[in-house]
Parts: sequence; structure tokens; C-alpha cells
Amino acid sequence: MDITILGQQLLGYIPLGDIVLYMAPLNLFMFVSALVFTTLIAISRTETQVEAEFGTLKDRGVKVDIKEFKIRRFLAIVCGLATAGAMITGDLFDFTLFVCLIGIVNIGIVSAVKQIDVLNAAFQYGLVAMIATLPLFGGAALILASTGTISLLEIANIPTTAMMAFGSILLLLGVAGETGVAPFYATKAEMFRTPGSPFLLIIHLSSLLVIVRLIEILLIINKPF
Amino acid sequence: MSRIGKIWNALANPKRIPRLYSLILGIILLAGFMIPLALNDNQLYPRPTPQLQISEQDPLAPYDRGGIPLIEPGIVKAQYPQFSEKIGFVTGYLSPIAWSVSNTTLYYGTSIYSSPGGLIDEILYYTRGFDTVLESSILMMAFVIASWVALNFTMRREE
Repeated sequence: MDITILGQQLLGYIPLGDIVLYMAPLNLFMFVSALVFTTLIAISRTETQVEAEFGTLKDRGVKVDIKEFKIRRFLAIVCGLATAGAMITGDLFDFTLFVCLIGIVNIGIVSAVKQIDVLNAAFQYGLVAMIATLPLFGGAALILASTGTISLLEIANIPTTAMMAFGSILLLLGVAGETGVAPFYATKAEMFRTPGSPFLLIIHLSSLLVIVRLIEILLIINKPF
Repeated sequence: MSRIGKIWNALANPKRIPRLYSLILGIILLAGFMIPLALNDNQLYPRPTPQLQISEQDPLAPYDRGGIPLIEPGIVKAQYPQFSEKIGFVTGYLSPIAWSVSNTTLYYGTSIYSSPGGLIDEILYYTRGFDTVLESSILMMAFVIASWVALNFTMRREE
């Protein structure tokens, strides 16, 4: 297969049956950076926050205990691996599955904290993530119905129809809900107000990388240029 | 300008986000009814004519894909046949129990026997096998989180 995707020459591919992971320069760069960041957080310790109070000198340190630390580290590593997988997958349904995995692990990373408002925000984020699976998988299904394939290498050669454009709008809405970008940012922003910095940052990084990858996929599906 | 500021402030409340999201999703889904359906006739997995296998009194109807296990491949199509060379070789396999049941009834193909050890779904386990791995890992992560929360927040809550 000698193909260019969005002007990038493919450096190679990993065939897993019909699911072909492809390596173009942009995808490979994002894959490696996700893996490097995952390694960094796997070997680091959490931060300790200091809560100050106005009018008094009582400062409190908010620490993460060892059990919470372990489960968070595990879920953060899974989140990093899922992000790395979403970067190089060449299959639309596979991409939605990776995004779904990232969403559920994001809830898990903050579900271990003991601050009530953070847990409330995580609950609301969980509701959005659950609703978002409908447009996410619905969009992939509409694209499958209108093209007959969900392999991005094949979709790149199929002319766009109105139904494919609608499917990609649904896909965009699904990923926006799962990753919590504007205007749905409030739940995720509240989730960050808790100690345990390197593990919380993977939530941020995974959203960022998934959005970049989604833009690439939308360009492949809709071919505006 | 102050109106935009009010909108941003309203959006900063996490409780409003699921409602806002559902509203936007509902509007887009309703707008979707306007989109003309353009189904691709050249689908990947072709089926025989409806009722054809049933009229032929085939006990595996409507899931008969033909083929002899490990000798002759059945009819299973793949997107990239070059990556799944052995496709179709086990699709005709029947376990001994499944084989004896299929000899007694004409409705084997639609019965519960046809699932495990019966007609093997090669799309699920061979050509798209990685999806099955991912789906079960999503389920496993959900169970890990739920059991951690149940063990530490519900059963052992000291403070």
C-alpha cells in the first residue's frame, strides 16, 4: 500500500486484520509524545497542595495517600496508552473505542479524591461522557453506512456525501463531550482542583491530542481541499 | 459585552453542562432528519437473498457461509484480504453437540446453540479482533473503577 494521507507519506503500517494502524509523520510524533509523557508520569510522585485560609495562619497540606496514589497511577498509565493508540489507529471505529476508554479512565482518575465539589463535577462529567457515546458511535455508524467501510485509508478515496458530513458532525459532538472542550469545559475545569498533579495532567494531554487527531480524521472524511 | 460575560458565567456551572449538551445533541439529531439518506450498496459483508437459505431447507439458515473447516474457505469478506490470509477456514466449524443438534432441527441457525462453538464469527474474532480486545478493556476499566470506589468509599470508610 503506497498511499499519502493529507499530503503525508506513510512511513509504515501495522496490519491487525482489517484494522490497520498507520504511521504518518504527524501521527507518529503524537504517538511518541503520548508515550514519553506516560513514562514520565509512571515514574513520578504526586504533588502536595497547600490550602491557605484568609485571616488565619492555619495552612493545611493536602496529600495523596498511597492507595489513592496507586490506583491513580494505574489509571493514568491506561489513559496514556489509550491516547497513544488513538493517535496511530487507521480505523474510525477503533478511534471511537479509544476515545471511549479515555473518557471512562478520566472519570476514574478523579473518582479517588475526597473533595466533594470535585466529585460532583466528576459526576456531571460522567453524565456528559455517557450521553456522548451516542453521537460518537452513531457518527461512526452513519459513516460506515454511507461509505461501506470504516478504514480511514479507504474513506480517503471516497467522495463526500451529505450523510458523511452529518456523521462527522455527530463524531465531533461526541468527541467534544468525551474530552470536555468548550462550551462543555466547566465539568473538566472543576475536576482539576485536586492534588495529584502529574496524573491529572494526562486528562488534559489526552483531550488535547485526541482533538488534534479528530481534526485530521474530519479532514480525511470531508476532504475540504 | 456584558451579555457574553453572563453566558460564560452560566456555562461555568458544572450542573448545567449535561443539560446543555443534551439540548445541543437533540437539536443536531432533529436536524439530521433533513439529511438525505445515501446508503452505500457496495457493502463489505454481502448477504444471500432473504429467505433463500430457508427455502432450501438449510438447517444453518440464515447464517450458512459454506466451507469445510481447514480445507476449503467459506464466504467471509475482509477489507484487506492480504492481511487475513486464513479467513473463512473455520467459519463452517460445528462442535459435536452443535452438529448433532443441526441434524435434528431445521431451525438450528436461529437457535441459541449456534453461538458458542457453533457458527464462529470471524468478523468479530479475526478480521476485527482488536476491537474485541478494546471493548473488553473498556469494560474492565469500568469494573476496576467501580470496585475501587465500592471497596474504599462504601465498605471501608473510616473518616
